[in-house]
Amino acid sequence: MTKKAEQGRTEGRAEERAEVGIKERTARQRMAKFFVAGPPLVFLTVFFVVPSLIMIATSFRFPGEFGGLAPIAAPVVSAHVSQGLEYGFTLEAYQFFFSDILYAKIFLKSFAVAAATTLICLVMAYPLALLISRSKKHLRNLMVLLVVLPFASNFLIRIYAWMIILGPESGLSYFINAVLGALGITPITLLFSPFAVLVGMVYVHLPFMVLPLYTNLEKHDPALLDAAQDLGATRWQRFWRVTWPLSLPGVFSGAALVFIPVLGMFAVPDILGGTGDILIGNLIKDQFLGTRDWPFGSVLAIMLTLAVLAIAGLAAWFARSAVGQRAT
Amino acid sequence: MSIRASARTHLGAILLFLLPALILFTTGCARQDESEAVPGRGENVLHLFNWNNYIAPETVRHFEKFCNCKLSQDYYSDNEEMLAKLAAGATGYDLIVPTGNAMDTLIRQGALRPLDKSLLPNLRNINPAYLETVFDPGNKYSVPYAYTLTLLGFNEEKIRELELPTDTWAIIFEPKYLKKIKGRVTVLDSQRELMAAALKYLGYSVNDTDEEHWKQAAELIVRAKPYWAAFSNTSYIKELAVGNLWLAHGYSNDMFQAALDAKKTGRGFTIGYSTPREGAVLALDSMVLQRSGNRPDLAHQFINFMLEGRNSAELTNLIGSGNPNMDAMQYIRPEIANNKAIFPDPELLARLEMLRDLDRKQRRSLSRLWTEIKLR
Repeated sequence: MTKKAEQGRTEGRAEERAEVGIKERTARQRMAKFFVAGPPLVFLTVFFVVPSLIMIATSFRFPGEFGGLAPIAAPVVSAHVSQGLEYGFTLEAYQFFFSDILYAKIFLKSFAVAAATTLICLVMAYPLALLISRSKKHLRNLMVLLVVLPFASNFLIRIYAWMIILGPESGLSYFINAVLGALGITPITLLFSPFAVLVGMVYVHLPFMVLPLYTNLEKHDPALLDAAQDLGATRWQRFWRVTWPLSLPGVFSGAALVFIPVLGMFAVPDILGGTGDILIGNLIKDQFLGTRDWPFGSVLAIMLTLAVLAIAGLAAWFARSAVGQRAT
Repeated sequence: MSIRASARTHLGAILLFLLPALILFTTGCARQDESEAVPGRGENVLHLFNWNNYIAPETVRHFEKFCNCKLSQDYYSDNEEMLAKLAAGATGYDLIVPTGNAMDTLIRQGALRPLDKSLLPNLRNINPAYLETVFDPGNKYSVPYAYTLTLLGFNEEKIRELELPTDTWAIIFEPKYLKKIKGRVTVLDSQRELMAAALKYLGYSVNDTDEEHWKQAAELIVRAKPYWAAFSNTSYIKELAVGNLWLAHGYSNDMFQAALDAKKTGRGFTIGYSTPREGAVLALDSMVLQRSGNRPDLAHQFINFMLEGRNSAELTNLIGSGNPNMDAMQYIRPEIANNKAIFPDPELLARLEMLRDLDRKQRRSLSRLWTEIKLR
């Protein structure tokens, strides 16, 4: 998109319209905008909005006897239909969700895991992103390549690799337990634990934190740091008062890219988790497969979507106020 | 960058995340369309919807030669997945190999085509003990293919060393045994299977739906849970074979695989397996004809072919599956045929039960109980 187009978009349409001479050009620009933005918009409408609507409709139905959904209208009586089958619309699944504190607990737990993962990713990714952004140009590209390199192999294979690394017969386990043994502490198991789940989550999502941070940090003007130094700022002050506030938009987009997928993740706790590691993603998956309760699964998914939207809104709001602060 | 634009990029980034899911979704649809489009009447192709690794490669070759046709397979790894795919509209399979309760669902949905037994002379080879199941009285729709037992697999040396019993569910539920093998045990990550084991141990039927009995079973599970390493549906195969696990609740086919792997890699221990004396879950997989299949003729040919002992035995020799075919016994390798865990004696056979489907209310309350168990 041209610089002009970006300006036109941000400065508002009233001004655009006021400029009589370039009216025709604006119309053309709008056409161009449509051609650029149209296909993804249509795609998302069809494949995001429509399924979401279906999901909402599903949440108000009764589950079918064999999975799927019970019919909306009274079925024609036949031998296949068991007695007393319910049909039509209902709030039953929502009632079930709110009738038990259990489901709120699972949400809380999933949010805690997502928050912990995000925090750990941030702490690990920030120095790395800073290092990459301050390296020489040819090194930078190589380092970014290294960050995304794990994507070259399949996600499940990488998680399975952690099973070996954390397994009780692994070198890592032996080493840790040897150290603990020397200190007189009983040996621990790494695999099948909340710790293993967290390791897996952080490992998978780390690049999603590094990349937005790097794109943000790379754009910082080094002159700002020089100016701060000239004004007597220490190293720490230069980071805390200049670099960190400027990087906040990157921090928030990285946080959103980590937090949201972790909330819905079910494969990592399935593979690396122990007997208590159930997250909201596992519960939703189970409603559609094992339990075959689509309406309740839809209710859980809707609640998760609402929570995710709330968080995304919150992140956007934080980013905005961070940017606003910088402007004043 | 302006405020609005940055908010937009946030939204954009979030939406970007949904793309892979959508792509997966659409390719999933495309595959179904394909399976719908391919089986033309003129073509000599039999479409089989089967479990992963549930037919020997040589059997496929022999059958293709025998019928002068092609065998095209799609796979599933559990019944729910198969039912979900069919519920989503997958059609055009001539044959499916569901387990009893899933077959029950398919029958009641009216999704199956009745068999023409005049085309199946080899049906006499099947052990009558595996015919006339509650799911399909009179075998109108189904012919038994193979079966699995849900049992206990263990590291023989370790368990003997610790002097633990292997013929009872007590070993996975009683703290007095479990404390010796803490963190070295996994149980199936399946609501029905684990509840079935607990119910059997308490002396109830695996199909008991009494809320009070469920609660007792759940308490038993919660009490034993701290000693288990994890709920595991597949990884126990590898973990048993490399020696990380000493005991696992799992399927007989998988234990057969684990024993084979441990032997191949020369780990210095053996993996044994046994069926608890309280009884266990028997999962009988049967061949059924989908109503929307285009080649019932080839499907009948396939069923009759698989009922020949020699062909049926090939699968058992490959994966250690239980075999309901009496004629097959002579072709099965003796170390498998003599394995009491795979071929139980009549007394134990009488104590095996098949899981029946729960109704939707029971499913929902079992799911809640299960979530509670996991969170505790």
